[in-house]
Amino acid sequence: MDSVVFEGIGKRYRSLWALRGVDAAFRQGEVVMVIGPNGSGKTTLIKCLLGLVRPSEGTVRVNGQLVGSDPAYRQRIGYMPQISQFPPALTIGQLLEMMRDIRGLDAETVDDTLVGALGLDRQLEKRLSTLSGGTCQKVSAVLAFRSRPSILVMDEPTAGLDPLSARTVLDQAAALRSNGGTVLITSHLLEEVETLADRVAYIEDGRLRFLLPVKEILQRSGATRLAQALPVMLSNSATP
Amino acid sequence: MLSARTWSVVAGKGEGLVATIARAQARDTIVIEGMVREGNVTVDKPLVLIGRPGAGIDGERKGEVLTVTSGDVVVQGLVIRGTRISNLDDNAGIKVKEARRIALLNNRLEGCFFAIYLSGVSDARVEGNTIVGENLREEQMGNGIHLWKCKEVRVLRNTVERHRDGIYFEFVTDSRIEGNLSRGNMRYGLHFMFSHRDAYADNHFEDNGAGVAVMFSHHIDMQRNRFIRNRGGSAYGLLLKEINDGEIRDNVFTDNTTALLVDGCNRIKAMGNTFLLNGWALRLYANSMTCTFEANVFQGNTFDMSTNGELLLNTIVGNYWDRYTGYDLDRDGRGDVPYRPLGFFALLVERVPFAMVFSRSLFVALLDRAERIIPTLSPEAMRDDRPLMRRPHG
Amino acid sequence: MTKVYKYTLVDLARNRFVLAFAVLMLVLAEGLFRIEGDAMKAMLSLVQVTLALVPLVTLVFTIVYSYDTQEFTQLLAVQPIRRSAILAGRLAAIATAVLMALAFGLGLPLLVHLPGMVSLLLFAANALLVLVFVALGTLLALTQRDKARGVGIGLVTWFLFVLVYDALLMALMFALSDRPIEPWVVPLAALNPIDLARIAVMLRVDLAAMMGYSGAVYQRFFGSAQGILLALGLMVLWAAWPALVAFRVFRRKDL
Repeated sequence: MDSVVFEGIGKRYRSLWALRGVDAAFRQGEVVMVIGPNGSGKTTLIKCLLGLVRPSEGTVRVNGQLVGSDPAYRQRIGYMPQISQFPPALTIGQLLEMMRDIRGLDAETVDDTLVGALGLDRQLEKRLSTLSGGTCQKVSAVLAFRSRPSILVMDEPTAGLDPLSARTVLDQAAALRSNGGTVLITSHLLEEVETLADRVAYIEDGRLRFLLPVKEILQRSGATRLAQALPVMLSNSATP
Repeated sequence: MLSARTWSVVAGKGEGLVATIARAQARDTIVIEGMVREGNVTVDKPLVLIGRPGAGIDGERKGEVLTVTSGDVVVQGLVIRGTRISNLDDNAGIKVKEARRIALLNNRLEGCFFAIYLSGVSDARVEGNTIVGENLREEQMGNGIHLWKCKEVRVLRNTVERHRDGIYFEFVTDSRIEGNLSRGNMRYGLHFMFSHRDAYADNHFEDNGAGVAVMFSHHIDMQRNRFIRNRGGSAYGLLLKEINDGEIRDNVFTDNTTALLVDGCNRIKAMGNTFLLNGWALRLYANSMTCTFEANVFQGNTFDMSTNGELLLNTIVGNYWDRYTGYDLDRDGRGDVPYRPLGFFALLVERVPFAMVFSRSLFVALLDRAERIIPTLSPEAMRDDRPLMRRPHG
Repeated sequence: MTKVYKYTLVDLARNRFVLAFAVLMLVLAEGLFRIEGDAMKAMLSLVQVTLALVPLVTLVFTIVYSYDTQEFTQLLAVQPIRRSAILAGRLAAIATAVLMALAFGLGLPLLVHLPGMVSLLLFAANALLVLVFVALGTLLALTQRDKARGVGIGLVTWFLFVLVYDALLMALMFALSDRPIEPWVVPLAALNPIDLARIAVMLRVDLAAMMGYSGAVYQRFFGSAQGILLALGLMVLWAAWPALVAFRVFRRKDL
């Protein structure tokens, strides 16, 4: 079943279209990798889903609900941004508490698996201003999974993480998929996620060039790895 | 001759006050009990009128209440009320005409048109009276203590409230006014003209419609008086108009629109006075000459000084100015650079009154500071060459 | 909103800038009271200093804080709460933090050295200035993408309000001195929040002088408590409009 549906999404900044005519549907129980060059519009697309950016045209539906002024649909969304600045004077524990509180969740219902798995349980008293970039990423990951979302959006999730932690986070995303969740990941590191991804969405110049299963991409291009397959696909000017 | 007798007048009994006075001999004493209701009572022989506690005379608005036409009269401890209010004749609670050796002591005058009115009196003592007028319109209100052509009068420790002028002198000489409280009067707390060689000390003038005005007099001595909260467009703590040879010493001026206005005066010495939180501490008009301002304290005033032209031949020296920011390298307690009390802003407001809106503005403060350092507008003579570094004690 | 408010305030309570401001104000106020010896004189100096300093600090702090928390604001905006709740919570938290610093640094010395109406008025005027400049700073940070540009415009705004505006107004007054501009001076001054704060305090501090003003136009305004209340009331408007615009902008803004 489709959990996220983009219909004719376009976003214009002044006279420049950052995104145009994007139609795409993402299903329950799949991991979609969103890739494309810098400035291609992939972040804008994700922001349209998260409600951070208002599309200039088109609509986004989440579980059938129109993304608009009612913020309730975001109850089901987990977001792991690349973030380096949390409120500096708060401790990790206070931040977790704050975000739980803001989401209106009980302490019993949250998912704290990652807190222990990423070794944050020993650092709850640490102030956020003292954290390294990697630890910030870990906190960001914890926040994304903690509310047990059915839709997970991750922006370069492994950037800055040590390999082991990166593995832990991606495994958690895989687990979410097996539970029927939808996972959207933007990444530059193809190798890291190609094993995880079910489909790949390729965006360039604000347009969705293709949204295809990984297998099909490899088949069509006759390559064994995505990194080799992509140039072939793009030169064929494939469409979804 | 028989020795002096004491008569008793009890309100509502016997033959009454007027009849008793008629029967009394000179030097007799009349003791009054209760409120006697008789108007136009005249004392025409030397008598002592004494009231028991609560005793008094109610004139029932027939005219004057008590008129004294003889010398050697004492009126003591009476409540006086019920004058007729009329602008044709100046009806008073106690009026004394053409007499000597008069004492008006510890009386209480309530709601009188004029309260105490002395005309052509000499060697008199007006002491410890409490005078409270009624809240009426100005034309229905006379003065509290009104003296006309008197000399050698002592006005001591009286309280005057809610009259037109609290204390009014015209042609009164060689007199002393001490320890009085004059407040809440419609016009002036103290008002005198053509009254020479008088001394005013330790009086308290507060919240009067126009403050205190003294005009056309010479040899005035004013010491330790307090002029407080006289506010309004034409209200002055103390207005000096055409006064020659006066000493204004150790007075305190607080919260007046204009604390001291000097207009057309000569040889005034103002020393040791304190000017606190006034709008304008000192307005010195250019028609004044050879006046001296020394050892005064200027603190918290919106404007320390203003003038209406070029100032000549006046001396401003050795005062304490809270705005002074100079230094004292030789440590003699006097600033080494002159203080110019007339700031840019004071000059501006003099010309454009509504520029008051910019008071305390940073821009104005900068201009003011600049003007004090490099004077371009303020009169060259307007400066204190030896300003005090510290506020003198007290 | 209360949740955002609560945690933002917890964060701001340990903010170095806020603490430094509190200490700076305390040293300044306490120092003036001690050096001047006379409380009233210290108070008059404080009028001049605080009415310039408080807007500057508030404005710069609000702008810098807004930019520094941009990423986190984005994270908040992804949570299932309304944007208006985020902004309201943040505005209130920033204002509370600066006001607490002001209460500690200015209110306390005033209370100790010169309790009374004038002190209360000075504090109220400064407190309203805090609200005005938190609102203005927030609006500025929301409308300018670049931090340096935002801070720059903030500084220019402050300079305009604190000095240039009065200079221009006075220049105008002189240029048009032969025309009946008197009724326009106060309304024009009211367009500047710092002028409003100054006028509110001045109407009390310079009351004696004000009552000497004989012009008919502002007689009532200058001589009574009404003028003070009006000035303070207009400051509330001055805090309200940038805040309202900020809400509008933030609700539709792409983060």
